[in-house]
Amino acid sequence: MERPIVHPAAPANAWIGPAVLAVAGVAGPLPLVDYQLIFVAEILIWGLFALSFGLVYGFGGMLSFAQALYFGAGCYGFNLATFKYGMGTWGALASGVAVAVLFAIPTGYIATRVRQHHFLIVTVILSVLTSAALTSGHWRWVAGPYVTRSLPFVPAFALGPLEFSFGDEVVAYYFTITLVAVAVWLAWRVVSSPFGRALRAIRDNETRSGLIGLDVNFLRWMMFVFAGGIAGLSGTLYVLLARYTNLEFFEWTYSGKAVVAAVLGGAGSLAGPFAGMAFYLVAAEHLSRYFQQFMIIFGVLLLIVIRFAPDGLYVASARWARESLARWLKKNAHEKS
Amino acid sequence: MELVPVLVLNGLVWGLIVALIALGLSIIFGLLDFVNVAHGDFFMVGAVLAWLLIDSTGNFWIAFAIVPAIGLIAGSLIERGVLRPVENDASLSIVASFGLSLILQEGVRATYGATPKRILDPIGYTFPVAGFEYEVYRLFAAGVSVIVIAGFFLFLHKTKFGTWMRAVRQDREIAIAMGVPSDRIFMVTFGLGTAMAMLGGVVAAPLTSVEFRLGLDVLPLCFIAVIIGGLGNLPGTAAAAILLSVLEGTITSVAEPTTARIISLVLMSVVLLVRPQGIFTRA
Repeated sequence: MERPIVHPAAPANAWIGPAVLAVAGVAGPLPLVDYQLIFVAEILIWGLFALSFGLVYGFGGMLSFAQALYFGAGCYGFNLATFKYGMGTWGALASGVAVAVLFAIPTGYIATRVRQHHFLIVTVILSVLTSAALTSGHWRWVAGPYVTRSLPFVPAFALGPLEFSFGDEVVAYYFTITLVAVAVWLAWRVVSSPFGRALRAIRDNETRSGLIGLDVNFLRWMMFVFAGGIAGLSGTLYVLLARYTNLEFFEWTYSGKAVVAAVLGGAGSLAGPFAGMAFYLVAAEHLSRYFQQFMIIFGVLLLIVIRFAPDGLYVASARWARESLARWLKKNAHEKS
Repeated sequence: MELVPVLVLNGLVWGLIVALIALGLSIIFGLLDFVNVAHGDFFMVGAVLAWLLIDSTGNFWIAFAIVPAIGLIAGSLIERGVLRPVENDASLSIVASFGLSLILQEGVRATYGATPKRILDPIGYTFPVAGFEYEVYRLFAAGVSVIVIAGFFLFLHKTKFGTWMRAVRQDREIAIAMGVPSDRIFMVTFGLGTAMAMLGGVVAAPLTSVEFRLGLDVLPLCFIAVIIGGLGNLPGTAAAAILLSVLEGTITSVAEPTTARIISLVLMSVVLLVRPQGIFTRA
């Protein structure tokens, strides 16, 4: 008899979290004023950037310091389409993501051929190489005349017959949250697909995965490219929102921001990087008023979290909440009967 | 073109200093089995401590004597307190060392400030090389690196402690079973690696400007040296560091520094694709 394939079923109440988030996202402009909306959009964009690190590290076991490369590629892909080819918002958005993916294909191929320590070193070297090339001044047609570059106009986009402008904070907010939601949905589909499962198998035991016939290098490479595309989208969204780019975005220390947020929140989940980045940005906003070098605190926090909650704060607290809810339900059911 | 001998000599001097720092990175990797992302920042802290000591005592040689000792002690304590609890997971150790790097950089920025500062040449004499006046201090820096590197290899091969270190590196379980105090070895190894980085910082301080981002330039150089030399291969690492810097110095004489850097990085990528185990290690 053929045995049925058993998928580890998602808990029956798994839709509650996304539904609450969706309602909160749509209703966001009601309680929030303009600058708060932009702040939330910023958290979502940087959270998406952290998610791209979470995808390669948390799901693929690849400790990459190259995610900033694809964030930067998204930014400068957008710039290239806007300034050199005069494309509109949609075209520039697509070309930002495309440039990031096209850049991730060869660099990811080089990086994913090697393992753990080599992988980390290669991602750092690739970042150093790219920033050295871009800042050298020979690549002005990509990098623009200065290290930083601002969009000299307010981006606008058409949706059917309607025209929207990023000058309106509510438009910018809905635009960002919609695209981030699409990206997270895509990421969820990818990590829960057979491909995502195969990748987690590789993360947990590479030798065994290779022996059961998985093409280890190829799968790692594909995940790296997908995460590169996600980082590229976050970079593109960032240009649209902030109308500003900086060659600093390519530096490997910039990837550190994603590493800190994703590890604090929990790199092995989709919500963890967002939670970590929200925590990071809110804390940074408040701390930087009193203390310029607040990153020290995050360094210490990072050490504490990896020591006591290596799955990340979000994952640990979600587990705690779930367990106490189950205990409470059980207790109540017990008293009723 | 008349600059060539000076640039090659500069490359050699800088290569020897990088070799010293990269060797520290390599011994930590060889024993503790993780890449220390904070290594460049230990180098930076060494340079900053040198500046502070020279500023308060006015004497370079005090810094030269004290800073490596501070490195040895601080490194041992950090290994014991910060890295020991997570050392079984290589990825977590790397993330921990990244946290350490943030603490060191921002800590220096908060106390020492963000402005780059310079240290006067502590020897002050020059001698002519191919029509240029060359600082004696650079030769001194190179000499210190050579002596420390040679001394470390002697230590590794001629002392009981060095033998223990090699034993733990070869097979940790067996070494522990034979009674090698591996905990102490880990502490001392990390301390030695840190001391090498900090000594590199002191020696390099008069040759560059001292600031909190100094480590960010040195770390990739060490990474390249460690990769080309073969991860964990100590003589290979030292040789690769010298080779790279001389190469970069030579290219600098015909092209701009960034081009030289890019060429050496591309060469490194080629090496990595063709021989991931390094050019000095047998496959």
